[in-house]
Amino acid sequence: MAAKTSLYIHVPFCERKCFYCSFYSVSGREDYIDSWLEALELEAARYHCENKIPLKTLYVGGGTPSVLNISQWQKLINIITKNFNLDNLQEATTEANPNSLTPELVSFLESNFFTRLSLGVQSLNDSELKTLGRLHDSKLAIKAMELVRDSNLTLSCDLIFAIPGQTLRTWAASIKKVIESAEHVSTYQLTLEPETLLARDYDNQALNEAGYKFYRYAQYYLPRKNFIQYEISNFALEHKECLHNIAYWTHDEVIALGPSAVSYINHERIKNPSSLDEYIYLAKNNFPDELLTRERLTPHERAIELAILKLRTKWGIKRVDLLPEVEQVISRLPEDLFIFTPERVALSKRGMRLGNSIWSEIIDL
Amino acid sequence: MNNNNDNIRNFCIIAHIDHGKSTLADRLLESTGTIASRDMKAQILDSLALERERGITIKLVPVRMNYKAQDGKEYILNLIDTPGHVDFAYEVSRSLAACEGALLVVDASQGVEAQTVANAYQAIEQGLEILPVINKIDLPSARPDNAKQEISDVVGLDASDAVLASAKTGLGVNEILEEIVKKIPAPKGDREKPLQALIFDSVYDNYRGVICYVRVVNGVIKAGQNIMFMSNGITYPVNEAGVFKPGFTPVRELGPGEVGYITASIKTLAEAQVGDTVTDAANPASEALPGYKKVKSVVFCGFYPVERDNYPQLRDALEKLCLNDSAVTYEPESSEALGFGFRCGFLGLLHMDVVRERLREEYNVELVATAPNVIYEVVKTSGEIIEAHRPGDFPDPSEIEEIREPYIKLSVFVPSEFTGRVMQLIQDRRGTYKSMDYITPERVRIIYEMPLSEFIVDFHDKLKSQTRGYASLDYELIGLKASELVRVDILVNGEAADAFSFVCHKDQAYNRGHATVTKLKELIPSQLFEIPIQASIGRRVIVRVNVKALRKDVLAKCYGGDITRKRKLLEKQKEGKKRMKQIGKVSIPQEAFLAFMQVDGSEN
Repeated sequence: MAAKTSLYIHVPFCERKCFYCSFYSVSGREDYIDSWLEALELEAARYHCENKIPLKTLYVGGGTPSVLNISQWQKLINIITKNFNLDNLQEATTEANPNSLTPELVSFLESNFFTRLSLGVQSLNDSELKTLGRLHDSKLAIKAMELVRDSNLTLSCDLIFAIPGQTLRTWAASIKKVIESAEHVSTYQLTLEPETLLARDYDNQALNEAGYKFYRYAQYYLPRKNFIQYEISNFALEHKECLHNIAYWTHDEVIALGPSAVSYINHERIKNPSSLDEYIYLAKNNFPDELLTRERLTPHERAIELAILKLRTKWGIKRVDLLPEVEQVISRLPEDLFIFTPERVALSKRGMRLGNSIWSEIIDL
Repeated sequence: MNNNNDNIRNFCIIAHIDHGKSTLADRLLESTGTIASRDMKAQILDSLALERERGITIKLVPVRMNYKAQDGKEYILNLIDTPGHVDFAYEVSRSLAACEGALLVVDASQGVEAQTVANAYQAIEQGLEILPVINKIDLPSARPDNAKQEISDVVGLDASDAVLASAKTGLGVNEILEEIVKKIPAPKGDREKPLQALIFDSVYDNYRGVICYVRVVNGVIKAGQNIMFMSNGITYPVNEAGVFKPGFTPVRELGPGEVGYITASIKTLAEAQVGDTVTDAANPASEALPGYKKVKSVVFCGFYPVERDNYPQLRDALEKLCLNDSAVTYEPESSEALGFGFRCGFLGLLHMDVVRERLREEYNVELVATAPNVIYEVVKTSGEIIEAHRPGDFPDPSEIEEIREPYIKLSVFVPSEFTGRVMQLIQDRRGTYKSMDYITPERVRIIYEMPLSEFIVDFHDKLKSQTRGYASLDYELIGLKASELVRVDILVNGEAADAFSFVCHKDQAYNRGHATVTKLKELIPSQLFEIPIQASIGRRVIVRVNVKALRKDVLAKCYGGDITRKRKLLEKQKEGKKRMKQIGKVSIPQEAFLAFMQVDGSEN
C-alpha cells in the first residue's frame, strides 16, 4: 500500500527564543526534554496499530531540534520506528541551528533515515544576525552549511529579508553564498506577529512594502541559478522540493506530535495545546479530548481552503478542479497575476507577490 | 373707536450682537420689579441652555412688566426680545410686527455695527418709533458722542437726545422706562371689532400642545372662546389665555394691544402657523392681518447618525425639534459613506449650528454633519428650470443653458486699516465691489455682492481672524444670479464617482480638481492594478493622477499550524474590504468619503 501520511514532530526547545519567532518553544528548560520524549511516546502510541501507519514524509521541526543530544535523538527515532512504518518513507527532514549542529549529529542523521536538513541561517551578514538576536555569526553558519553539504543530506537554508538595516546588496550576498551549499532555499519576510516583542517597534505594513525589493530580487535571481520558486516562500533545484510541506498545501493527511502541533486527519484539524507543561499533563491523562482544539471544515470550506493553498504553489490548480465561483473571481482579476495553461491556473511571479489580495477575494466565496 | 389701551406699550430691543441687549432687558425686568434681583439668573430671557452658554438670543421671548411712571399712572410694558444674529433677521421682523416701538441699543465704544443698521431699517420700515440708547457708557473706552454721531450719520436717525445708559450698573434704566412710556405710542385697536390677533411665534409643549404667542389687534380673546385660524379655517376652543410674567400666567382675557399667549390643545405647529391671524369662529373678522413671508432655507447640510442603527432616533429628534423651530426643513437622503440620514435646510450657518447642538443636548442624538451647501438653479437648453442640491443633480454640460446661484449683499463695518485685507478676502471669494464709505475717519463700511456658497464656507471666521475680531457684518439675500459654474466630475479608474464631484466657479475648477484628486490619491489604498483618478468637466479631463498598483502583500509562511491562522487573517482582511465601497473595480475606504464631506463629528 502506498504511503500517504506525513508525520510532524514539534521539538519545543530553544537555547534562546528569537524575538520575531511566533512558533511555540521554551528556553532554559532542557531538563524537560526527557519528559517531553515520554509524552511524545505516549502520543505516538495512540497512532500505533497492527499494521503500522506507513509514512510518506517525516519532518522534525521546532523550536530547535538540534538542541537534543545524540541519545535523545536516539530515543526520538525509536519512538518513530516503533509506531510507524517507514518502508516507503520518501523524505525525512530535521531543522537545525548553525550553533548547535555538530558533525556527530549530521552523521547520526544520515546513518538513520534522514534525507534533508533545514538550517536556520537567516542571513550571512553579521550585523543583521545581531539585529535578529541569533546565536551564530556568518562564519559559524557557513561552517554548518559546509558540514551538511559534505554529507548525504539535502541542505535547505532559511533566509530572512526586510531586516532593519538590511540592503539589497547584503541580501544578494547572503543568497549567493547560501546557494553554494544549499539545494533548497526558504525566504521569509521578517514578520511581526502581534505576540512577538518586535511588533511594538516596527510597523508590519511599512515592512511589507519594504520587503518588496528583497522578494523581487529573490524571484529574479534564484531561478537564474536553477532554483525554481515552487511556492510563495520556497525555491529549490529540480526534484529538491520539500515533499512534507507540499503535503500541507494539498490537504494530505498529517499526524503532528508535540506541543502546539496541528494534525490534519480525516478532514479535521486537531491542535495540541501550546504549552509544554500542559502537553505533558495531557499525555499522562490519555489526551482528554476537551483539551484539544478541533476544527472540522465543511466540504465547501475545504475546497476553498485547498484552492488557496494550491494557489501558493507553482503547480496551481487543475482547471477541472476549480470551483466555478473561484474561476469567476480569477477571471475578473488582472490577467498578469496568473499563468494559464490548458490544464492549470497558477500564480505568476507578480501573483505570488500579491497572494493576499487574491486569496482574500476567494476566502469567503 | 373704543380705545382703552392707553396704558400699554409694546416694544422690542434691537442691537448688534454683544451690544448688551440681554443685560439691558434684565435690568428693565429688575427695575420694574417683574423679577426680584435675587431670582435673577444671568440674562433671564435667554431660556434655552444654549442661548445662555453662547450669550445669544435665538428664540423670541416676550415678557410683561408693570411700571408706575412719573406721571403717577400704571403702565403695562410688553418687551419682545429678539434674536441678535443675522441668521435670525426673519424672527426680528416678526417681533417688530407685534410692537409699536424699539430701543436701538448701540455700544458706546463700538459704535454702529452692521446689524445695527439692518435692524434699525427694518424697524423704521415697520413704522416703529425708535428710541436710541447708548449703552456701556461706564466703560473707559466709551465715546458716547461718537456713537450718537454714527447713529445720525450712518443710520440717519436723530440721536441727540439718546439715553446714555449702562445696563451693567443700571445707569439710565429709569430714564429708558420713562422714554418708553412717553415716546412709544400706545397700541391702537378696538375691543368691539371682531377678533384679530397675530401669531408672532409658537412653541410646542409636551403637555399643552402648541402655545401660540399672540398680539391682539382688535377684539378680545379668552378661555372657552372658539377661535379660528384664518389661513386654514381650523377651529379650536381656547384652553387658556395668559401673559408672560415672565412665566406663563393665565389672565381672564387679552384685549386690543395686549401681548400674550393662548393654548388650545393644538397638536401641530402646522395648524397654528406663525404669521397667521386668529379670529373668533362665531364672529370672524373680514380679513386677516398682514402676515409674514414664509421663510426659506438657504443653507443645507446632511445630518447622519454616528451609529447607523440610530437613524430612527435622529428622525424622532428632528420631528420634535421642528415642533419648536419651524424654520428647519428636512428630508431623508442617503450617502455612500454615511448611510441613511437627512438633508436639512436652515436660515444660516448659526442656525445650523444651533440645531445641531440642540439635537445633541436636548435630544441626546450623536450625529455627523456634512459641509453646508446652497441650492443652485439650472436652466436647461430645453428651457426647463431645475433645482440642484448636489453635483449629481446637475445635467450634462451640453444641456445646460445657465446656472444660477444665490447671492447676498454683504456689508462689513471695519476699522479702515483692515480695508485692504477685507476686500482681498471678499474678492477671493468672487465678491463684486459695490461701494465703500467712511463712517468715521477710522471706520469704513464696505458693501459687496457675493455668492452665498462662498459665504457659508467659514467666511465669518476668516473675516474675524483677518481683522482681529474688529469687523462686523450683515447680509441679506438678494436672489439668484447667473454664474459661470461648472460641475467637476471625479473619475476613479474611468468610472464617475459622484461622491467626490463638486460644483465650483470655472476659474477654480483646476485648483480644486487638483486638490481633490491628490487627496484621493492619498486616501485610496494601492490595489492590484494602477488606478487613474481624473477630474473632468464634461468629457474634458483637467487633472489626472495615478494610484500606483500594489507591489507586494504576501508576508507569512504557511505550513501545518499556520493554515488556520492564515485563513482567519484572510477573512479579516476580506471583512475590511467589504466595508469599503466599490466603484467599478476599485475599493474605496469610508474615510475617503468622509474626508470629502468635510464632516464634523458632533463631539468637538
